[in-house]
Formats: sequence, C-alpha cells, structure tokens
Amino acid sequence: MIRGGRSYVTSPPSFSNDAKRLLVCTGNTVSVFSAATGLQITSLEGHTAPVTTLIVVPASSPAQKILCYCWTASLDGTIRHWDFSGPELLKTIDAQLPIYSMVIPSLLSEPQQIDKRCELSGKLVAFVSVEDISVVNEGSKELRGHIRRFNLAKPRVPRGDTLKETAEPESIVISPSGEFFGIRHKCKIHIWDVPSGGSRHAVSRKMTLHHTKVINAFAFHPTERVIAAGDVTGRVLIWRGFGNRKLALGNQKKKVRATVDLDNAGVRGEDDTESCTTWHWHSAEVNVLNFSSDGAYLYSGGREGVLVVWQLDTGKKKFLPRIGSPLLYFMWSPDPTLSSVVCADNQIHLLKMPSMEILRTISGIKAPPSLPRMYEGLASTVAFDRSSGIAALCTENYCVQLYNLLNDRGISEIQVCERNHQPGDEITVVVTAVALSLDGSVMSTTEVKLPEDGIGGLVSLKFWACEPDSKTFTLSTIVYEPHRDAGVSAIAFHPTRSMAVSTSFGGDFKIWVCNSDKNQTDKDSSWICHAVGSYKKKPMTAAAFSGDGTVLAVAAETVITLWNPDKNILLSVLGATLTPITKLCFAGKSEFLVAASHFPRPELSVWNTSKLSISWSYGLRVEAVTSAVDSSAFAVLAVIPKSFKTDKSKENIFRGRDGAILLFNGSDPKPVSIWTVIKAKGGSISFLEGDKSQLRLAYVNGSREYVVFDPNSDESHERSAVDYDGLAGLEETGDAGYTSLYGQLPDYDKKRMEDVDSLATPFISSERPWETIFSGSTLNFPPLQKLCAEFFESLMEKRTAVVE
Amino acid sequence: MEEELRVRLNDHQVSKVFPVKPKSTAKPVSKSETPESRYWSSFKNHSIPNLVSSVSALAFSPVHPHSLAVAHSATVSLFSSHSLSSSRRFSFRDVVSSVCFRSDGALFAACDLSGVVQVFDIKERMALRTLRSHSAPARFVKYPFQDKLHLVSGGDDGVVKYWDVAGATVISDLLGHKDYVRCGDCSPVNDSMLVTGSYDHTVKVWDTRVDKSKWIAEINHGLPVEDVVYLPSGGMIATAGGNSVKVWDLIGGGKMVCSMESHNKTVTSLCVGRMESAETRLVSVALDGYMKVFDYGRAKVTYSMRFPAPLMSLGLSPDGSTRVIGGSNGMVFAGKKKLRVVVGEKKTLSLWSVRSQVDETRRRALRPTYFRYFQRGQSEKPSEEDYLVKEKKGLKLTRHDKLLKKFRHKEALVSVLEEKKPANVVAVMEELVARRKLMKCVSNMEEGELGMLLGFLQRYCTVQRYSGLLMGLTKKVLETRAEDIKGKNEFTGLLRNLKREVNQEIRIQQSLLEIQGVIAPLMRIAGRS
Repeated sequence: MIRGGRSYVTSPPSFSNDAKRLLVCTGNTVSVFSAATGLQITSLEGHTAPVTTLIVVPASSPAQKILCYCWTASLDGTIRHWDFSGPELLKTIDAQLPIYSMVIPSLLSEPQQIDKRCELSGKLVAFVSVEDISVVNEGSKELRGHIRRFNLAKPRVPRGDTLKETAEPESIVISPSGEFFGIRHKCKIHIWDVPSGGSRHAVSRKMTLHHTKVINAFAFHPTERVIAAGDVTGRVLIWRGFGNRKLALGNQKKKVRATVDLDNAGVRGEDDTESCTTWHWHSAEVNVLNFSSDGAYLYSGGREGVLVVWQLDTGKKKFLPRIGSPLLYFMWSPDPTLSSVVCADNQIHLLKMPSMEILRTISGIKAPPSLPRMYEGLASTVAFDRSSGIAALCTENYCVQLYNLLNDRGISEIQVCERNHQPGDEITVVVTAVALSLDGSVMSTTEVKLPEDGIGGLVSLKFWACEPDSKTFTLSTIVYEPHRDAGVSAIAFHPTRSMAVSTSFGGDFKIWVCNSDKNQTDKDSSWICHAVGSYKKKPMTAAAFSGDGTVLAVAAETVITLWNPDKNILLSVLGATLTPITKLCFAGKSEFLVAASHFPRPELSVWNTSKLSISWSYGLRVEAVTSAVDSSAFAVLAVIPKSFKTDKSKENIFRGRDGAILLFNGSDPKPVSIWTVIKAKGGSISFLEGDKSQLRLAYVNGSREYVVFDPNSDESHERSAVDYDGLAGLEETGDAGYTSLYGQLPDYDKKRMEDVDSLATPFISSERPWETIFSGSTLNFPPLQKLCAEFFESLMEKRTAVVE
Repeated sequence: MEEELRVRLNDHQVSKVFPVKPKSTAKPVSKSETPESRYWSSFKNHSIPNLVSSVSALAFSPVHPHSLAVAHSATVSLFSSHSLSSSRRFSFRDVVSSVCFRSDGALFAACDLSGVVQVFDIKERMALRTLRSHSAPARFVKYPFQDKLHLVSGGDDGVVKYWDVAGATVISDLLGHKDYVRCGDCSPVNDSMLVTGSYDHTVKVWDTRVDKSKWIAEINHGLPVEDVVYLPSGGMIATAGGNSVKVWDLIGGGKMVCSMESHNKTVTSLCVGRMESAETRLVSVALDGYMKVFDYGRAKVTYSMRFPAPLMSLGLSPDGSTRVIGGSNGMVFAGKKKLRVVVGEKKTLSLWSVRSQVDETRRRALRPTYFRYFQRGQSEKPSEEDYLVKEKKGLKLTRHDKLLKKFRHKEALVSVLEEKKPANVVAVMEELVARRKLMKCVSNMEEGELGMLLGFLQRYCTVQRYSGLLMGLTKKVLETRAEDIKGKNEFTGLLRNLKREVNQEIRIQQSLLEIQGVIAPLMRIAGRS
C-alpha cells in the first residue's frame, strides 16, 4: 500500500543547521528533503495526527552545525523531540490537547544563557497554542483557543498557565532573538516578552498593537524592536520601537514617559511604539512577512504570487514576480545563499538568494482546478498511465502535471494553454479533461475558453505525443472547435491502435486517427478526423472502447449506442436508463458494459452487450469507474448517499467518510470487496498494471491525496499502520461491510432483475420492449412518458448510422 | 535516472512569457512539395508573345545548342533555346502544320496546308527541296531516327508517304487509313519503323522495308487520334485522342498498358520528358489549358500546371533545360531551367587542388600551444571534440505583445490593427477576451481608432475562419458605440459596406442551406443502401 499526495504546505518548513536539508510537515509525518537535489531523504513517523509545528534546534556554534535535533508538535496532542539524521525519536511529551502552534524561546536565546538556564533549572519553556474543547462545553463563551506555557523538561505536562484565550487557536510568532512572541487576533497583535529570569512564576508582560484592518501576518525584527504586520488589504505596517514602556528591557525600569502627546507618527491610540509607517504595494492580502537574518530587508508576499523584498531603511523594493500561486511562507536558511518560498499549489521553491532565482522545486501534487459551475461533475481532470503508475492531473495554472504515484513525486508539467496563471484572476480558460491512452504514449486534453459577453468562446482539443526518453509530452495536433461550438463531454482511447473518440453535447461524436503510420516520421504525425456519428441528434455524454477495440460504446443521453469504430456502423442500441449516462466502461475483455449516471437520479447499471440487455443496477451515485485489462473485474467509486450517513446506527461505520470503492467481478452484482474512503467527490480511481503483473488499484480523492493498494490481498496488517491516518483512512470491510451498508439483499435471480429496495431501475430492452415490459410486477411499470416514446420508437423503422 | 531528473528539476521555470500567436491553420495532408513537382515547377517562365496566330507545331534541334523551330501561321521561326530570341524566319504559302529537324540538326522539314512538304537548311532562306504529292493538306512530317535521306509525311488525303528527299520522289505510299492522318512518329531505335495516327480512331504501325503498303500492326484508340509518340524504349507508344492519353505495348501485341483521363478537353500534343534522374515522363497538353506530367510506369499524374490559353503544341529540349508550349492565341509559354554546369567544373578543379587542400589542413591544425590558437576569431568553426554551449534563444516580442505585457490593452489592439494582419488581430482579440478586456477596449476607443476597427470588421467579419468571433464583436461594437457612430460622415461608407457584406453572407448561407436540403435526402438514401 502506497500513500501519498499529501500537502507540503500545511505549516512552514524548516532548514537544518547546515542548510543541506529541508524539513517539511507532510500530514502525520515530517519529510526530510535534500536541498541539493529536491528529493526526499527520510521521514519522521510517529505522530498520529497532522504535524503543525516544526522547530529545528538552532546551532549556537559552528561545531554544532552537524547537530540534527528538532521538536514537533501535532494535533494528536503530543510534542516530540527527534534526531532527524537517524531518524530517531528521542522523547515524547503528552500535552493532551491538540497543539496548533508552538514556540520555544529559550532555543533562540544566547547560548551561554541557555547553558546557564539549563544548569539552573533544567527547564525548557515552550509556549503553545492549543484547542481546549472541554472548556467550551462547560463555559458559555466559545473561546477554544488557548495560549499556554509548558515546561518541556518534564515528561508529562499538566495544564500549563493560560496567557490568553481566543475564539480559534492562533499561531504564535516568535522573534528571532527569542525575546518576544506574539499572536495576531483580528485587528490586534498581542505581544508578550519572555521572562528572562527562568523562574517558573515569572509572569510575562503583555502589550497590544492596534490596527483598523484584520491582520494576516506579522514578523519580528531579528535585532531591533521592530514589528512588521500585513493586513487583508495588502498594506504592510512597520512599528518601530514597540514596548519601550511596557516591555522595558530587563528590570531596569526606564522612566515612564508620562507625556503621551509626544508626536509618534502614525501610531494609533495609546499603542506603545515610537512610530508606525505603512507600505502599500500588494493588491491583495499579505500572507508572508519575514525579515532577513541581518534585519536589513523585509520579505513580503501574498495572493498575487509576487515575492517583494523591501529595504527596511529606504523602502526600496525588489521583486520575484510570476511565481504563479499565492505565497504561504518564506524561510531563509542558515546558508545565506539559500532560502525557500512555499506556494499554495503545493510547491516549495528553493531560491538562490541575492539574485532570487528559483534553483529547484520540491513539487507536491497540485490541487485540482476550480471549474466553473457548468463543468462540475463532468470534467475528468485525472488520467492514469496504467503501466508506469503515472497520473496526469489538470492543475489550476493551465498545466497537466505528471505525478508518479509509486514514488510520490512530481515528474514534469506540461503547459496545455499558453497562458500565465495569475492567482485571483477571474477564470477564463479551463482545461476540462485529460485522457491518456492505455500505453501512455498519447495524451489528449480539452480546454474551454469562456466567452466574454457571449463572444470569443472557444473549445479546443489537443493531442500530445509522448517523448519516451524524457517522459514529457509534445503537442502534436490542435483541433479548434472539434464539435463546432459544443463542449467536449468525454475522450476515450482505443486500447491497441492510435485511435481516439471525442463526444460532445452538441449531438455528435468524432473518431480521430493518427496518420503517423504512413509517414514513419514521428514529427509529422497528426490526428485527423476519421468518422463522425450521431444518434437522433441526442447529446453524446460518454464513450468507451471495448477491451479488444472492436466495439465503441457511446452514450446518447439515456441510451447506449454500439458502433463499429472502423466502418462507423451503428451495431445496436442498448435500451434506456432513466437518467443521462455520464460514465461508460467495458468490464475488461468481457461483454459487460458499466454505465453510470448522476442527475437527477443516480444509477449504476451493468449491461450485457451480447444479450443487449441490462444485467443489474444499483441506485448509487458513481464518481469514477475503472476496469482491469485482462480480467473482467471492475471497480467503481461511489458516493455514499446522505441518508446513510445521517443514520445514527451507521455513524461509526463511516466515521466521516463519504465514499466507497466497490470491486465487482464480471456480471456478479455482489461486490467482491468494499473500502470506505473520504473526499470521494471529485475523486478518481484506476487499476494499475505494473511489470510484475500485479494488479493494483489507485484512488485519488477530491483534494488529490492518493493511495495505491492491491485489491486482492488482505492488507489488514497494513491497515493498522495506516488507520491512524485521519486524512484518507481506508477500511477493509468485505461483505460484512456491504450488508451493514445496504441491509440484507434479497436473493438474486440473475436472469431477471428484481427490484432491490427501489435501488434498481425498471428493466427495458430497447430492441423488443413489448415482450418483456409487462412481465414484471405491475408496480414496476415504467412511467407513461417512457412507454409512449418506446412505443412510437418500436413502430418506426430503425435508422442506421448517420453519415455526415 | 537520478541525474537526469535533477537536470530537469534544475531548469524548472515557474512561469514564462507567451507571445500572442494566431491560431494555426490546417495543413494539407499530402505534401505539396514532391521532388517531381519541384522539378517541373523549376522552369523559369519566359513567354514569347506576339506570334500571329495559333502555334501549331514546335520542334527542337537534336544537337547542341538545340535551337527551336516554332510553326505559327504561314511561318516557321527559329529561336535560340538559350536566349529564346528569334534568329531566322521562313515563310510558306499556307499555314504550317508540322515541323521536324533532321538527326544532325542541319536541315529541317515542314509541311503546310497546301499539301507541300519543304526541306530547309537552317542557315539558308530558300527551300532546298519542295516535295509535292499530297492531294490534301499535309498534317505531319517526320525524319526517321538516324536516317538523313528519307522523310515520312501524312495528310488529310489519308495517305502516308515515304520520301526520298534527294530525288524529291515518293518511294512508297502507305495506304490503309480511312480518315485524315493527323500525326505520326518514327521509332527511336529503328530507322524503318513508324507509327501514324488518324481520325479513323486507329494507329497503324508501318515498316518501310516491307513494300506491300500494308501496316504490320494496328491499335484502336477509340477516339480520333490527335498525337502519337514512341516512348524511348521503342517498344511502347503513347496515343492522345479525345480527353484521354493511352500507353500501348507494341511488342506485346498492341496491348494497352495504362490510360490517363485527367484532361477535360481534347489532348492536342504529347512529348516524352526526361527528368534529372534519367526517368522519363509523358507530358501532355490539352485545349483545357493544362499541362500534365504522367508517370506511365506508376500510372499516376505527378504534376499538373495551368496556362491561360488552350494549348496546341509542346516541345521539350533534349537536354531537359527548356520546355515550350504553344498556345492557340499565338503565345509560346517557354520555361527555362538553370543548367548545373558549374558542378562539373568544380569537380575538375578539386581534382587538381587535392594537394593544396592537404597542405591547408596541415596548416590549419591548431594546438593550444600555438600562438595562433589564441587568435581565433568569431568565424572559427568548432572542431569535433569541442563542446558546444548553446545560447538560449531569446523570445521575440512584437509590439502588441509588449503592450499586452504592460496591460495597455487598447493600445495593443490599435497597434495590431495598424499591422493589417488579420490573423494577428484576431489572436490579440482572443487574448483580450481571455483577459475580459475586449469590451472595455472597444468602449475606450477614440474616433479614428474606431474607424480602423470598423474597417477591419467590415473586411473580415464574413471570413469563415474569423467569423465566429468577429460577427459577435461587430454586433457589440455597433450596440455599444451607436451614438458615436451615428451621424458621422466618415462611418457611413463603412457601415454601408458592412451591411452589404452581411447581406451577401446571408444570401450565401441561404443558398448553402438550399443545397444541403437537396443533398441530405440523397445522402440518407446512400446511407441506407
């Protein structure tokens, strides 16, 4: 079982002391990447919930640079101390409350002080931001977020002192010198100083800075008393000399300035600062603020994806533009020539510092694109290369990302539309679908240019040829408006030959063939239209080739039409489902055809193409269908209906999971096995057939986390190892789970379909409906509208292929 | 793998500049440029105008410099085939129908519609011999392949005559054709074999050694035969009659090998052309104005070219450098090729300069220890073991790209409109649509710029490739800028033209729909059967 696709950007990464390694929080683990190659070296495993904070113990002397210790805090309520060169877990402290943020000021203080303190008290004080739900239940105010002080030297922490209570757990920011720390809270920044005495009861003093806008991020200057804060409107505020009165240095209290009327430029109200200046360059919210290690520069970034470097004294700016995604964190490393910037699209860019060039990128799986309303549920933004285990994923920035599911790393990105993505702009161009041929040598994409005021819309279909040595794709053919102005609903590839079919809502489908066979030269190969077909001008919604490629099934709304793809002859029509079909798939090389439909009544039906009749059907909403090449097994990803989830008795079965993968074998309506999954909406599944002839099933969920597992082997031993993973827990429930899901099934008569708890549809064969239509119970009669159409259709002469 | 991956990750570039490109258009599936078509289209055009009437016959001298005889009206003009300038004229009493050079190129024979065959020395004005025997217009005259003493002629009296030129007497009358004899050719391998074609649809093969005035073979073309030629092997002939050209195997008993029927009107003349690769092609011209090159080996028309007049006669110089075609309007469409004599010269030169070349390479060998090594200039060619550092190609940005990069949308649109390249204008408009700025640009345009836009729309909104975008845009422009356009004198002409264009397009669409209505039932029937 392989798990991956976790987000690299949930919390800020951290460089090791020698700047050769980068530690990244990835879900429940901490991954260690090499800064030189961008590849993962090792990972720290042990937390049972997502890791929220990562603190590398800084080296106080050059000799200590090889030391590799770090502290982590997690939502599972533990704080752990690691040696990440090993990797080895040194210590676990149970805080009992989910920790959202943690700072350890004494690590940052001067080394001699640390030694002194450790000698004196043997104490390591940490300030943590926790979520205390127990208080909420008791108290009336919903202040769940608490800032507390813990002593990490003790193995078990009882309740620490609470410094502040907030509605939500806030993240704590500490000054690089370790003197101050603070949190932002709406329009305010609360700052405490770290009691220097080291005694347990020394109370840290607090001050507050006010602003009129919600503050998004702030940072402390490494040496001076300067704070920079960024708000939602894009302003950067610099407060200089904060806390001269309230947080005076040491105990030598200065004379309190009684004269508040001193002209402190830009300072709001009674705030304890000398001056406040505002810089405004960002057009949207500021997410990233960080001072350079010497304090001469300030780095800021935000939604527009531009890293700005401000010279602190003069306010002059330098830019790293066109990063293409909102920035989340900026970290400088102990090596002055290296720093990293973390983007919202799951990429960590390592920057060469003074020149700010992007050296290399640690690329996680990218988030799915946000599609306009009309394409929701219809787009297929994930495609799989079955042999190599590579997934092609549409991304927000008009690219297709090739991601190796087996190694969990990004391979390359292919620019589908020649456009630059600017985060925050209105979406005008969408890559709606990507498809890969069975051998992975051809990729096809469709993109839609949305019209402005009804003009200038454009649909285009592109075919890409694989470059075998570099594993990227080059553009081979562009087809503008493949189906006039109608959108492309599905693309399917022929299993053996270079042939593809695209279907459209405009009522026709086109078969495309590659003419490279004649020319021999790969460069000139191009795709041309081989045939056009339509069936009663109905919108074509899905298509699939049979396992041997001799039959092409195209769904024309509610009926399935079977074609000979070479001669473009309509072979037969499979009778009507109740709702338009959205997915079609042949079950391997068998004669069974799986059809799935969504709206308004979801349905999963299996058709026998040799008997031209339905075998069985369920009332399940199916997100994805896949079938094995050799066997007749197929798997569907179904969304569990709401009625099941809200049922109290079944709550512990699902535990917040909203989908299930059902594995079927051929015509058998009983699933072989069932796994429940989360975030099934927008998910995708596929069988992977590696060289080892091992059949594996890959599941990518709606937020692009994935799991690859063997559907046939019992992986219960591994389940225990991964069950803690709250992100995408899987459970092998088998048949027991099935019966608990849907109740005991009545006995099946496979020849004739009975109604299964109103899940199945009435059975209508399109060829000779009158012989069978009245054979069931009278309660199962189709509605009159349905009958009428069938009746008239049976009277009329059946038309064969429409040739245009 | 590891190494390669690293390299790729290193040149990862987050984001690039994409210049606005027009949509690529469909390329033809078959290659337009084949070596064959390149050969035939490489004749550079040299027309010879101002000949009085239809050019009835053309002939090239078989010896260098291959001077050209053109028969037009009652005149034969000699041209030099290099400069295509007229050098000498010979006049006749009647319209000249055929002309032929002797194998040594010193004499030529011509016949006219009075039935007289005359033999001229190309250097003298007066006829050497005048052969009178035809009782009707003579239509063709031919010298046998190598024979310098005899002539073959045929005419509308249906008789083919074999002449002794010196004595100006008929050796034998070859009788057999039942209609006008219009053409004939002598075998390129045998002096005594000849073929003649006649309007009685037949081509007859004669042997002058057999003195029974009986043909030895006959083939039926099926249509009145306009021209007949021997193919270079001497065993095959090609006949032209009606719209078709047929190739026959004489040795195999007069079997048809293949036929070519891609002309639309009567084929008037045939000629055998020799390509650079020593392959031969059959070239034909017809009254439909087309010259077609027929590869009779593969039974395929490999090249076709159109001329602005009905074509009457055709000649290809034996060295393949000149192609002349006579039109019915007195125009001679000549084409000349550059001969590659230079190549041969170079080869001989290099033979002599082998020694010096060896010297040169020895001299040029450079070592890092030499002083000259450090004085190499920019033009120094890299040696084999040198590692070439490739320079990154800079991106060429046009003016509108630069403006778009600066978000100066309206200026970009105006600058591309000034360029007068419709594909670029449409590409910029599409980019503006993607940025949701097109309508804003339109509403911000000043009067002159609006006029330019309207002019563009008027010209291109009905072009099929652009109409999807431009039709909608035209409507929007007229709606949003109605008050600016209204009542302005400079726009009235544009609007009138626009209206006319749109009306015309609507008419075309309607007639297309009508045609579709006619065709659809037929297609349906065809699909059913």
